[in-house]
Amino acid sequence: MAFDISKYREMFVEEAEELFESADNVLLEAENNGSLTEEEMGQLFRDVHTLKGSGASVELTLFAKFTHSVENLMDKLRNHKIEYLPEMAGSLIDALDIMKELLELEVDNELNEEVFQEKTKEQLIIINAYSDGKAASPEVKEEVVVIEQKVEQKEELDESENFGFFDEALDETQNNKPYGIFADDDVSNDTSNDAFGFFDDDLEEVSKTAETAKLKVHEEEDNFGFFDDVAELTPESNIEEQTPSTQVAVQKSTSPAVPATSSKKVDDKKDKTVKKAASTNNIRVNLDKIDLLMNNVGDLVITNAMLTQFTSTIDDTKTRNSVLERLELLERHIRDMQDSIMSIRMVPMESIYSKFPKVIRDISKKLSKKVDFKHFGDNVEIDKAMIEGLTDPLMHIIRNSLDHGLEIPEERINTGKSEVGTITLSAEQANGQMIITIEDDGKGIDHEKVAAKALTNGLIDENQYNTMTNNEKAMLVFGAGVSTADQVTDISGRGVGMDVVKTNIHKLGGALKLDTNMGEGTTITIILPLTLAILDGLDIAVGSQKYILPLSSIVESLQPTSEMIKKIGDGTQDLLMLREEFIPVVRLHDLFGVESTFEKLEDGMLIVVKSGATKVAISIDEFLDQHQVVVKPLDKNFRSVEGIGAATVRGDGSIGLILDILGIINAQLKSDKGITDSKRAS
Amino acid sequence: MAKLLIVDDSTMLRDMLNYALTEGGYTDVVEAIDGVDGLAKAKLASFDLIITDVNMPNMDGLTLISELRKVPAYVKKPILVLTTERSDEMKAKGKAAGATGWIVKPFVPDQLLKAVNIVLSR
Repeated sequence: MAFDISKYREMFVEEAEELFESADNVLLEAENNGSLTEEEMGQLFRDVHTLKGSGASVELTLFAKFTHSVENLMDKLRNHKIEYLPEMAGSLIDALDIMKELLELEVDNELNEEVFQEKTKEQLIIINAYSDGKAASPEVKEEVVVIEQKVEQKEELDESENFGFFDEALDETQNNKPYGIFADDDVSNDTSNDAFGFFDDDLEEVSKTAETAKLKVHEEEDNFGFFDDVAELTPESNIEEQTPSTQVAVQKSTSPAVPATSSKKVDDKKDKTVKKAASTNNIRVNLDKIDLLMNNVGDLVITNAMLTQFTSTIDDTKTRNSVLERLELLERHIRDMQDSIMSIRMVPMESIYSKFPKVIRDISKKLSKKVDFKHFGDNVEIDKAMIEGLTDPLMHIIRNSLDHGLEIPEERINTGKSEVGTITLSAEQANGQMIITIEDDGKGIDHEKVAAKALTNGLIDENQYNTMTNNEKAMLVFGAGVSTADQVTDISGRGVGMDVVKTNIHKLGGALKLDTNMGEGTTITIILPLTLAILDGLDIAVGSQKYILPLSSIVESLQPTSEMIKKIGDGTQDLLMLREEFIPVVRLHDLFGVESTFEKLEDGMLIVVKSGATKVAISIDEFLDQHQVVVKPLDKNFRSVEGIGAATVRGDGSIGLILDILGIINAQLKSDKGITDSKRAS
Repeated sequence: MAKLLIVDDSTMLRDMLNYALTEGGYTDVVEAIDGVDGLAKAKLASFDLIITDVNMPNMDGLTLISELRKVPAYVKKPILVLTTERSDEMKAKGKAAGATGWIVKPFVPDQLLKAVNIVLSR
């Protein structure tokens, strides 16, 4: 049997990301306050230790090799073999960066011994110098090189013991055991090459009987030797009792003498792990499984709705009512179940926040800016499915704030600000929505510059330019190809980032808001639905068809009068004049090719909907019921139709199409680009 | 059917262990994410063998073993430690804590099974 290494590597890469994040955050804090607590040292060690062990398990040998050196240093730190120096934090952060790079290269099979040497050489000198209790100042570096060579040799010896030698073990004698039973004499022996072992107090007997027993039971296997009753095991036995005594015969003859290296001795002083009351009753569940469960409940909702509908065929009123009563109870239970499943999907915002401190540190260092990163609402919960879509946009916004928003310290002092800039990230839940704000106290967005650029790029025209508010102009940074950076940096400034932000947020069914004041800073607000799985929908009739409109997008609905409708252009485009505001009208009949039952808009209904700051009025026949719908994605087999976002199954078993407001707005903009000119004709 | 408990803070390693054990015919495997979780789960059910990692948050593997040895049901049950080190010190500490044996990490499935078969057949 062998492992599917690629599968486990994938898992490891995911796990490594978390471990790196955890270690980075500890080190970032250490860098800021110049010290490390016992607990933090323990955590650092464990993180790196797991990285090494798991990395080696998925055959990332070179990654594990370098990580081993880092682990060695962390081990010494936590055991106080060496003292923590404030400058170590920076070096360790750099070392983690190298580990990340090595991991990526090795996973992509692009790492060989040569590249490894080149990438790690310098950092190893520093790390090993620290491990040897030397400060890694340039003066000692030369001296360190000599020591370094020795250390490296030792390290290699270590490596051969710790991983990558299983094949050898299989071929060789008993000495290279991958496991073993502990016996007293094991400890005294040079059994360092054993890959397994069993402890047993019944040593003398064991060592004598081992061979024969082994031959009897496991004739072809000579990779291990001892097994005996464990009954003799006593928890009280301690290290002192295990003085060198008898040697296990089978091992004595071929055991190579392995020098005890410094890294091993460290274990002597192993710290007592602090027992913490932690939430350990957790299991990791694949999100797909939860989605499936949600889907199942969705089907249950549908079946329930079918049953409810079926009751109309029951003639006897008394029977019908009592059936309905019970069905209501069932519906309540299903709703509770939905809520419970939703709560499984929710994770704290902290899981997103924790990705930022490292990025902010790296970028601010690069730009020589000073930043204080604050975050609020760490425990506010968000649908796990949204995290992926939200992380990138947040990262883009923060990078932009750092790059274009915050000023360099001198400039800040000159303008009377504190030299340290602040970026604040906060999250809260309100009105069934998730509100995330990213605030910086930088120089703000030069709305005129943005608008001028958008004008040049043809994103807006003169008319729009003249009627836009400052915030609306600044909002144009979310348009494609707009960047105010005079020089493109490798951090941001290519004008693609913010465009992606807008697209991603819209994909999540969210909206963006931007407030900026020159010289004071910028606040970007992201408004998201709490979940992507269920929405409150309104059934609307369009000709002979029924569609579902997400309730959250509805601003208002009305029966228009002929005075409210204005025609522009060649007379094909209608505008709704509503309280001094002109809103373009979209005839859903035309958009979806449904035969219209009325000609004049005032004979139908209008619903004003919005996505972000853009409003349109959609023309429909009438409103029907309002109900909760379980959102099901449209199969990829179908060609996407602009204006249709997803589907659901109705109570009667038929398919309902859910309207995508952003898509409708886009379709409207495409059909008549000039229309928005007169949007603010008032 | 032998009931096994594996304790490791790495999901990936638990997966690898579980896979190897299941393939080897040990289908009744329970996972725990650290010492505290392991101890709690061990007390809730009766396991025939416990395999634990050493370095874990909240409670390390060695502490877990000594704690388990205080529980009457686990005084004599085999416990194997998974370790990346095969130094004498580690073994001494493993033994002192009350472990039955050790398995070096990374492990080869066949060798893991061999070790498991042995301790379970005793």
